[in-house]
Amino acid sequence: MANLKDIQRQIKSVTNTQKTTRAMKLVSTAKLRRAEELAKRSRLYAEKMNQVIAEIAGRIKCNKVGGIDNRCFTKIENPKIIDIVFVTADKGLCAGFNIQTIKAVNKLIAGFKEKNVKVRLRGIGKKGIEYFKYNEVELFDEVSNLSSKPDKVRSDEFISSSIEDYKYGKIDGLYIVYNGYKSIIAQELHVNQVLPVATEQFECNEVQNSVIEIEAQDEEHMLDSLVTKYVEYNLYYSLIDSVAAEHSARMQAMDAATNNAKEMVKSLKVEFNKARQAAITTELIEIISGVESMK
Amino acid sequence: MDKLKLEILTPNGVIYNDYALSVTLPGEEGEFGVLANHAALSTLLEAGVIDIEKEDKSIESILINWGVVNVDEEKVIVLVEGAVAIRGESESAVAKALEDAKKLINSIADSGPAIAAVSAKIESAAKKLI
Repeated sequence: MANLKDIQRQIKSVTNTQKTTRAMKLVSTAKLRRAEELAKRSRLYAEKMNQVIAEIAGRIKCNKVGGIDNRCFTKIENPKIIDIVFVTADKGLCAGFNIQTIKAVNKLIAGFKEKNVKVRLRGIGKKGIEYFKYNEVELFDEVSNLSSKPDKVRSDEFISSSIEDYKYGKIDGLYIVYNGYKSIIAQELHVNQVLPVATEQFECNEVQNSVIEIEAQDEEHMLDSLVTKYVEYNLYYSLIDSVAAEHSARMQAMDAATNNAKEMVKSLKVEFNKARQAAITTELIEIISGVESMK
Repeated sequence: MDKLKLEILTPNGVIYNDYALSVTLPGEEGEFGVLANHAALSTLLEAGVIDIEKEDKSIESILINWGVVNVDEEKVIVLVEGAVAIRGESESAVAKALEDAKKLINSIADSGPAIAAVSAKIESAAKKLI
């Protein structure tokens, strides 16, 4: 039978853990609400941005508007080098949130390796960076403290070199991998091909066959800056979405931990009571047998 | 008169989503107006003021710092980075919007001479309201 004191100590420690996890859950809930709000407001913009880009890309594909030959809208056969940007959290304790993203990245890398495509990995978020460093996978670029506090300026800065490299032909593709917010209890993994802008899904229908007029003077410039904004915003939105997902994942994980701790305290208490009862019984027997022997 | 569907969005939310009679946009190549059934067009916008002629013929001005517009036969979608709508019920509300607008203009670092012109424009737009 376990020592009474030991059990008591254990109960105390588990209760403390429970307090911590509950507090963390509450913090995450509060943060989630804010992050969710931000994500919701940005989602509309992101969707419209994608829609506008898609429309332009579709029209370019169907009409070859003014003979535009922008690299960002052209499907590249046999890519040689591609960039993968992944977004993970800076902190742990959020169940499978980070590992899901990492697995997806690994899968993507393996897929490209088969095709002999060189991958440049660019990491955002401590957890993912740590993982790849530990596994001795080379990171081309890394930044931490960005995924927990999405900042437009810093995220623009981070992605700008990829955009440049793409435009100058140093890389042939750009992917963003992140775990996004789906609902308060679910996350959704996104693997987005950002560059080149995917045009396969567009069928040339009648609406798109109408010729699009792009302000003539400088169409290259217009498409260039539009694509830049599009990529920048895509990354920024990934960050926002990822934060919301992170908090929802952590909230869930902490909720589960709190419940587990509760269960554990319950069973420890039963054990404690048993031990206490056993101790009392032993003492009683000792006294009774003492009295008996004195008779 | 035909009307067009106009949507103006910023990363922080929708600021206009309604029908309008016409809209004037500050394109990079110069200001241009769009009426209903305009031909498809995509272009960049620079810092300036978007004037929307609403269905009741009143005019609403919205200041933007950068944007892109996509016009097609059915609708006009304007995506902007930062925007302040110059509107308000009372004089003080308009004054506040005006102040926000000025802040936004000052945050645009590199458009030099354009700033003065834009400043003047929003002032006059605000005066009309008061």
